[in-house]
Amino acid sequence: MDQLPVTLTVNGKRYQRSVDPRRLLSDFLRHDLGLTGTHVGCEHGVCGMCTVLFNGQTVRSCLMFAVQAEDAELTTVESLGTPNNMHPLQEAFWAKHGLQCGFCTPAMLLTAKELLDNNPTPTREEICEAMSANLCRCTGYQTIVDAVESAALAMQGGAQ
Amino acid sequence: MNGAPPVKTHPTSMRWIGQNMKRVEDPRLLTGRGKYIDDMSVPNMAHAAVLRSPHAHARIVSIDATRARALPGVLLVMTGAEAAEQTGPLPCFSSPATTQYCIALDRVRHVGEAVVAVVAESRYIAEDAIDLIEVEYELLPPVVNPLDALTSSGDAVLHPERGPNNIALQRTLTFGSYAEDMAGAELIVRRKVVWPRSGGQPMETVGAIATYDEGNGKFTIHANTSMYNYVGWLIAVSLKVSASKLNLVPTIAGGSFGSKLFAHKVPVLAATLARACGQPVKFLEDRLDNMMSCDNHGSDRIYDLELGLMRDGTMVAFGMKVIDDYGAYLQFGVGHHGNAAAQLTGPYRIKSAQIDLTAVFTNKCQQGAYRGFGSEVNNFALERIVDAAAEELGMSPVEIRRKNFIQPDQFPYKIPTGNVYDSGNYEAVLDKALEMADYDGWRVRQAEALKQGRYIGIGLVSCQERSVFSSTEFWFWNHDPGFALTSSPESVNVRIDPTGKAFVSLYAPFWGNSPETMATQIVAEQLTMDPSDIEIIYADTDQGLMGTGPGGSRYTVMIAGAIGGATLELRQKMFKIAGHLMEANESDLELQNGRVSVRGTDRGMSIPEIAMQAHFFRLNLPDGINSGLDARYTYDHPYTTQPSADRTDLGVFYPIMGHMCHIPIIEVDIETGRIEYLKYVAVHDCGTVVNPMTLAGHVRGGTAQGIGSTMYEQFYYDEQGQLVTANFGDYLIPTLREVPPNIEVGHVETKSPFTEYGIKGGGEGGRMGVPPALAAAIEDALRPFGVKVDGLPITPVKIRELIRAAS
Amino acid sequence: MKPAPFHYVRPASVGEALSALAEHGEDAKILAGGQSLIAMMNLRLVRPSALIDINWLSDLGYIQHQNGALAIGALTRQSAVEASPEVAEACPLIAEAIRYVAHKPIRNRGTIGGNLAHADPTSELPAVAIALDAIFTVQGPAGRRTIAADDFFVGMLSTALQPDELLVEVRFPACAPDQGWSFMEISPRAGDYALVAVAATLQVQAGLCTAARLVYTGVSDRATRVTAAEQALVGQPANEASFRQAAELAARAVDPSSDFHATAEYRRDLVRALTRRALLQALARCQKGA
Repeated sequence: MDQLPVTLTVNGKRYQRSVDPRRLLSDFLRHDLGLTGTHVGCEHGVCGMCTVLFNGQTVRSCLMFAVQAEDAELTTVESLGTPNNMHPLQEAFWAKHGLQCGFCTPAMLLTAKELLDNNPTPTREEICEAMSANLCRCTGYQTIVDAVESAALAMQGGAQ
Repeated sequence: MNGAPPVKTHPTSMRWIGQNMKRVEDPRLLTGRGKYIDDMSVPNMAHAAVLRSPHAHARIVSIDATRARALPGVLLVMTGAEAAEQTGPLPCFSSPATTQYCIALDRVRHVGEAVVAVVAESRYIAEDAIDLIEVEYELLPPVVNPLDALTSSGDAVLHPERGPNNIALQRTLTFGSYAEDMAGAELIVRRKVVWPRSGGQPMETVGAIATYDEGNGKFTIHANTSMYNYVGWLIAVSLKVSASKLNLVPTIAGGSFGSKLFAHKVPVLAATLARACGQPVKFLEDRLDNMMSCDNHGSDRIYDLELGLMRDGTMVAFGMKVIDDYGAYLQFGVGHHGNAAAQLTGPYRIKSAQIDLTAVFTNKCQQGAYRGFGSEVNNFALERIVDAAAEELGMSPVEIRRKNFIQPDQFPYKIPTGNVYDSGNYEAVLDKALEMADYDGWRVRQAEALKQGRYIGIGLVSCQERSVFSSTEFWFWNHDPGFALTSSPESVNVRIDPTGKAFVSLYAPFWGNSPETMATQIVAEQLTMDPSDIEIIYADTDQGLMGTGPGGSRYTVMIAGAIGGATLELRQKMFKIAGHLMEANESDLELQNGRVSVRGTDRGMSIPEIAMQAHFFRLNLPDGINSGLDARYTYDHPYTTQPSADRTDLGVFYPIMGHMCHIPIIEVDIETGRIEYLKYVAVHDCGTVVNPMTLAGHVRGGTAQGIGSTMYEQFYYDEQGQLVTANFGDYLIPTLREVPPNIEVGHVETKSPFTEYGIKGGGEGGRMGVPPALAAAIEDALRPFGVKVDGLPITPVKIRELIRAAS
Repeated sequence: MKPAPFHYVRPASVGEALSALAEHGEDAKILAGGQSLIAMMNLRLVRPSALIDINWLSDLGYIQHQNGALAIGALTRQSAVEASPEVAEACPLIAEAIRYVAHKPIRNRGTIGGNLAHADPTSELPAVAIALDAIFTVQGPAGRRTIAADDFFVGMLSTALQPDELLVEVRFPACAPDQGWSFMEISPRAGDYALVAVAATLQVQAGLCTAARLVYTGVSDRATRVTAAEQALVGQPANEASFRQAAELAARAVDPSSDFHATAEYRRDLVRALTRRALLQALARCQKGA
């Protein structure tokens, strides 16, 4: 099968590429665009490591082909911040020890972002519901929930 | 105590140790800029994929890869026979070794074993090529049930060169006057428990990028493995090159839990392929590769246990007959039973013990290291039988434990196996847990609930968490010890540059533990520097001295010792230089806030000032001092001794002994068998805690993994040896919803007398205690039905079966 | 694991999609949400020769409440259904069930039509469709036809859809104001496929059950209605005792199989427990509505 053109925006930057139709979106982002912050854990849609935002919504990039992202706006973890200028979610995960190995962290951050974008004042239960979409093998999840809770407050301008 | 190191005095107040410092590792991980192995690439890199055996046991008759080789984009197809021409057997810690190749040579011994490797321009094409390869197998009888392995013969024997059956090792070790003590016991309680294999299954699999430089005949391998002390040169041996012709470069790992301790298959395969195809090769396991053929399947045991006691509840002797299903090959020998022997008798004053061990081969993936390395299983066995004894004697689970605890004034305490526990205060941990859990209050609530037809259960366990393994555990079980390793050091290099920045080289990887943070806090403490002036680097094996890495909860203790040694040297040199330059006696100097000052005056020199002198102004320095400010220190295990020749005393091999008490309070829905957590308390004593926040992370994360092994996870093989749970849809890793929403963590700190700062390891965390705690809670909830939990995983299906059987 | 190669087609209309289906034959697959399909393709369990990507047929994505029914276009994303106030009002059973479908990221891509056409025997929506007497509209070369829900599901991963047909809409009658509903599920972990789930509706008048629907997933090769249990409720007082009886009947009526995750006996246990609990919840909702 010949390569197909795909044009999409990732983290606000426009890309035009040619890809095999079977090129997974996860591989495309990581290896064709060099955005390796999105990770791969299972390639059968269970673990959530490959989560990105697709037009603002979480999706599992291992369950999409790159060609399906035509005209879409994708957000990956690289857009949230840099070590010297972190997003409040990243600050909160850091302060609350919401990561150990870091492999699920990009997925967790983007999942939290989707939640807070749609619901800036979530209850702890709503946070648990959202965050339960991704596996974490290191933390036991509790400090992840603490981090999202703390970030929500910070982003509302409240105290921690 | 023989061989014991001198007791250390520990500082009473500390600036950095004990702080919940935010982790040094995090900023790059949070921003998606961590470089895991699959994030890396080298120019001209090709990709490998592996064709894996669909059969549990078979001879490889023929391989036709013609169509695969012809597929555009395919660079190389390699069979086991072709690989064996240039690469020898894989490294193996057991004695006698099992012969295993990175690509199976003439026989496959488990579903998923590598049969053919393909290198192509992309992983996609490599997998297309695999589809085009035809392999002819001659099926051999699969051995799946470990009890069948005991009597296997003929074609069912996996390693005929070792003997006529599938028994890998059979040996009984007796410690103390076991038979006598059992004969004198007023009550003998017996229980059979079954612990099936589960595994670490970190979110990141094992991967390697191997480059062979034909210019200098040298391999460079990037891989997410650990154990640089061993793995570098052992891989070189497999590759049939000199150890000086292999440089292993660590990459950060997305979790390990033991599974990347000694990752050798993947690097050996990648290097073999790179050398053969003339291009760098990346081999990254995908999830299926990893589940079927990693080295991290955990212990897989059937126990017949007996505990001898007196009627008043005093425990006397503990014995077991254990069959352990090691799978198709051995990796760490039966070291998992060595490990268990470190804390065989738990926190109790049991006088004697016996282990009758039979290790068998079956057609399954081999066992490796999984958080606990066999001790978590012993904890399960011991705590289950202690609970059984309490029930038979009509004692509460709290009472029987309290009665038998080793008392604080009895430490260092030698247990029957010969290992020593350095220190402990088990009642303090128990009491704290009871208080945090409101244990008595919950007993009342439990009784009330039962009247309303609700089944609440309270579990309680007191478990040891040994830390800092010694290498003797790998071989003292062997009839012929083989390579009777006694070193397990950790080294560090601390260099202060001319501007006063400290560069700390670690010879161990990052796995999700916090080596950079630990090292930073400890160096900051020792040199009174600010953490922001400390830079952590990971050395490769070319530069490395000795590094055993994280494993057996050893890393923080060992790096503290190594840093202690290196920074002492640096302090001494700085004092010499500063004393000379300030014309002061070294005995009048002190190091505070990054400055060497003359006590009682305001004269002093900052570390950067001293460093500048040390690097550039030789003629200002005193005689006998070289330029520079650099120290390398190798810290050996602080307390380890040889086992006796007859193995009635295994020596001291795991003396830095932590302890935990877990109290889960659950409710069982008896109609569906599902459980809900009402409360979860975990109190851990890991001595001095460098960073309470990161330790709590290991407690909670370990608890989640323990819940996985107890209730959800199993590598399950059917009668044909097919791995039924071979993907994440069937192998059930707990999500957020399966873990208690609030694991309340308590700390007790009983310092070690033998380690720097009195630190004990705590990385294996909650997994060491959760399984028996949950089993006890479920049994407790279902006590009205007389249900007994003797096997894992204890799923809702099983709970319903047990209730139905009892009704 | 990476998928095997395939021919990729992106039709601009339903007509083009049907032509592509006809052209590529039985080995072609429709790509809608892809949440089941791509996972299987990655594992190389399925290797379609062609993928017909209908994600650009935006005309097939809609939720319309018209003439006492909720018409949902086949390409409507599950998360849109989950968030829809029309669905919550007209067919709350759907809104409740859809939260059990995997996790949000899956629902953000997965479509109503794709889920129903896939017909996994442990899937939630087929049971809901049967419980609500949904009507499926499919389009083929000869035009459109409608199929009743119970006739749409044939067996394991198998529906009445012909290889050259496309599911275009599912229409759910709006639930009556005095109708109670409940969807309950037990799965091994949160978000997993159901071991057993029940879609229940109940109507009560003067304290007696007048109508009930009990449709189960996980007990057979397709979603299954247990009419014996439904009929046993009619005329009975709407209380725990009747519900317990119906639950027992249902547990005995089903003939589930055993697999690695659950025994047949356990699935019956779940039928028994979930039926009673769902009916109690449906009753509470009747009473609220009344």
